[in-house]
Amino acid sequence: MHEILKLDNVTKYYGSGTVVTRALDGISFSVEQGEFTAIMGASGSGKSTLLNVIATIDRVSSGDIFVDGQKLSGMKEDALSAFRRDRLGFIFQEYNLLDTLTIGENIVLPLNLRRESAADTRKELSRVARALGVEDQLTKFPYELSGGQRQRAACARAIITGPALVLADEPTGALDSQNSKILMQTFSMMNRSLNSTILMVTHDPVVGSYADRVLFLKDGKIWSEVLKGDRDRQEMYREILSVTAALGGESDVI
Amino acid sequence: MLSKLAWRNVKRQLGNYLIYFMTVAFTVAMLFAVNNIIFSENLTVFTSGSRERQGMLLGLVVLISAIVAFVLSYATSFMLKLRKREFGTYLTLGMTRKNILAIFISETTIICLVALGLGLALGLFIYQGLAAVMMSLLEMEFALADYSPRGLALTVGLIVGIFLLASLTSALYLRRVSIYDLIHGDKKVSRGVKHPALWFGVTLVSLCLMVGSVIFFDRGIEEAVLRGSFASGTMLALLVFAVAVILFHIGLARGLIYVLLKRRGLCSRGTNTFVFRQLSGTLGSNSVMLGFLAFLLTFAVIGSNVSFVQKAGQEAQLDRAVPYDVVYTSNLNFEEETAEGAEDGLTGEPDESLAGEPDESLAGEAEGILPDEAEAVIEKYVAIKGQYAYRLYTSGQNDFYSRTRWQGDGYGGLVDSYMKLSDFNALIGPLGYEEVTLENQYMVIANIPEVEALDWEDFVYSRNGVDYTFHSATGDYPMFSYVFFYVVIPDEAVEGMRPEVSYVVFDTEDGEYDAVSLKKELTYLTPSDYYDDGTMIERCDYTLREYSRQQENHISAILVVGALFVAVVFLFMAMAILALKTLSTLAEDRRRYQVLSRLGAGVREQRRTLFRQTFSFFLLPFAVPLLVSIPTAYISGHIMRLSGMEALAGQVPVIAGATAAVMAVMYLLYYTAAYLIARRAVVDGG
Repeated sequence: MHEILKLDNVTKYYGSGTVVTRALDGISFSVEQGEFTAIMGASGSGKSTLLNVIATIDRVSSGDIFVDGQKLSGMKEDALSAFRRDRLGFIFQEYNLLDTLTIGENIVLPLNLRRESAADTRKELSRVARALGVEDQLTKFPYELSGGQRQRAACARAIITGPALVLADEPTGALDSQNSKILMQTFSMMNRSLNSTILMVTHDPVVGSYADRVLFLKDGKIWSEVLKGDRDRQEMYREILSVTAALGGESDVI
Repeated sequence: MLSKLAWRNVKRQLGNYLIYFMTVAFTVAMLFAVNNIIFSENLTVFTSGSRERQGMLLGLVVLISAIVAFVLSYATSFMLKLRKREFGTYLTLGMTRKNILAIFISETTIICLVALGLGLALGLFIYQGLAAVMMSLLEMEFALADYSPRGLALTVGLIVGIFLLASLTSALYLRRVSIYDLIHGDKKVSRGVKHPALWFGVTLVSLCLMVGSVIFFDRGIEEAVLRGSFASGTMLALLVFAVAVILFHIGLARGLIYVLLKRRGLCSRGTNTFVFRQLSGTLGSNSVMLGFLAFLLTFAVIGSNVSFVQKAGQEAQLDRAVPYDVVYTSNLNFEEETAEGAEDGLTGEPDESLAGEPDESLAGEAEGILPDEAEAVIEKYVAIKGQYAYRLYTSGQNDFYSRTRWQGDGYGGLVDSYMKLSDFNALIGPLGYEEVTLENQYMVIANIPEVEALDWEDFVYSRNGVDYTFHSATGDYPMFSYVFFYVVIPDEAVEGMRPEVSYVVFDTEDGEYDAVSLKKELTYLTPSDYYDDGTMIERCDYTLREYSRQQENHISAILVVGALFVAVVFLFMAMAILALKTLSTLAEDRRRYQVLSRLGAGVREQRRTLFRQTFSFFLLPFAVPLLVSIPTAYISGHIMRLSGMEALAGQVPVIAGATAAVMAVMYLLYYTAAYLIARRAVVDGG
């Protein structure tokens, strides 16, 4: 298997002087190609910080992060932007679709930033829109769509460039349970059919149960890890619940 | 507690208030400067001239203040909308709308008071600069101009009025807006423009109307210059142009993006789609405001150009209209006297040095102050180098007029006027023109350009048994008489003609003198021709070149300073609205650019995108007004050429170019300030 993401003793501090918060405390792990990994933990455990440093939105204080063999620390701002554009896909809790653009325009924006030709862009748009079932929504604006539809459009945007890694930050946070379920089925489809490598931060055990592997964070460290293996989703869910209970019951279990 | 909150808010919101503050301060400065000009005791433009001019400029100031009030109301509403969420939070915390209005008014009062102070301080200098321009135009010695308490009072009064109007707008908004809209208003998405294709069609039609009305106006002006009367519809063309400018911009703002978004190749490049969509929302919802701004800017550009061109052409026009320093004109009421009879009284031969004696024969022919009396009066003010008396004669026929349009009903009384060749040569010689030779020929001197263009060549004029053929028809000479045209003929041809108008021209020493006082001394009271009740009117038979020049200077000074004032204020208002509009959406823009950043747009690309977005928005209402400099220069040049001022016509494009360049530089400076603020807030994370 090909290693897509590797974190080596990553540490992140906030603040200075006597008031220093250690958000990440020597985290090391790796994600293989085609793997669907979830990060769980209580509020303040460092989930979002971890996602932000992998997403190159924030910088690490020490340690190294490699994506597809490329070391992120030390890269210049422009190189990081190009890296985000070409190698990463993003899905956010609040969709982060641009309200002024149509769904189609939102989805192809990463390709436009790469200055792909109009013909290739159309072809790719058609492919991902079909795969994610948003073909009929392309000319609509985000405000005309439901939350679930918007998040599927955000998924289409995240995978249109064929990124090495898709990062999802609480993707179901703004959705009801029905739409959450549909979205996670979409994630599974992206992972299995489109071979997308996904790293997802969530606080929801149900959502976490769709992943192949769940990493639990506590106080900036990896506290535990659950692998799905051959088990079904229900079993995975039960194990996640037991781990969160052991973790201190601090996560927001529904 | 509220005042403390307001003071803290002002300090906290300093960045957002900067443009508002600058707008108010600069408006105060300009109003203060112009109001001081109006009430200045140093500048003789109003004290010696008509009070009507003062009223005109005062009216202009009030009109501009009304526009400023409108703009500042707009600006204040931006400021409010920029902080909707904050005010919404105050309301949810239990503050009343009155409390919030009190906070906001307190904040804007603090800003306005500080801006008033700074504006007045800045105005002290702008006034001196403006006064220096005015003094230069009036050819006065430079001196520091006095400040006028009345100017200060008017400025403060106008600013208070403007501030109250702007506050009223805020009060109305705060009274109506719901808490939900205050808190969630920025999440609202502007809906797309309805019928964009139709609006693009409006743009194209308006463009055609703009071009058509300019062509029509140019032809109308040509007609006016050549024929002395406006063609019907010329002023309508100007109105159509004004409406077309507004509609063009409304249509463009609503339809252009629709057309651009249809071009897939263009949209697929970088952040083009993003920019188009950003602009689409902003332009669509502000199209009327953009149309209005474009209208203001267009007429600011036209006004500036016309005033500068008028100033440039003033000297040449004066040279043409009043070629000698003093011109005495007297309409003669001879019934029977012939040219031969009248000739006796003249001082004989024309004298190239104009050193001849005054025309003694005029005594008894006309009332008022005769040239021999006037000579002594003139000498009190300026030394006379020479003088020359000449006449226009008439045969009582309309041989020449019958070939023009001034014949038939309504023109029955017009008869041909003639000037002796010797008189003509004596007049043009000192002015540097070559002597004219006529051998049984006549020359038509056109004071109205259309006469020059008439076909005279086949016309043979017979007089005293001699046939005089066509020599030339020209409008290149200064005006030695104030008729549509006259005919220069060999001296012998005027024999038997009746003197029609008598002139005496005086050439004086160069230099300025008190032309106003001289004019007064040469003015007398005479019974009115229109009233039989013995009403006496003032009359002066002398045209003083220096007096005319001073009057022209006054008009030029008012026109130039007025146009400068209007242009600068309009430009500033336009820039302020655009900047405030740009800055009022910073919060939304910041969120959108963060998404772009996460999707891989680097800082440089984001800056480029923001630049394209903001620059296009700023450029839209300014591009056409700048381009209007071209037809304005063309029409002004055309008028100059038609009026025989070929050399000056060459200066017009330079004036237009310089005006456009100065306005563009001011615009760019303001845009740069707005862009840097936006960049700091949106891209650089300030």
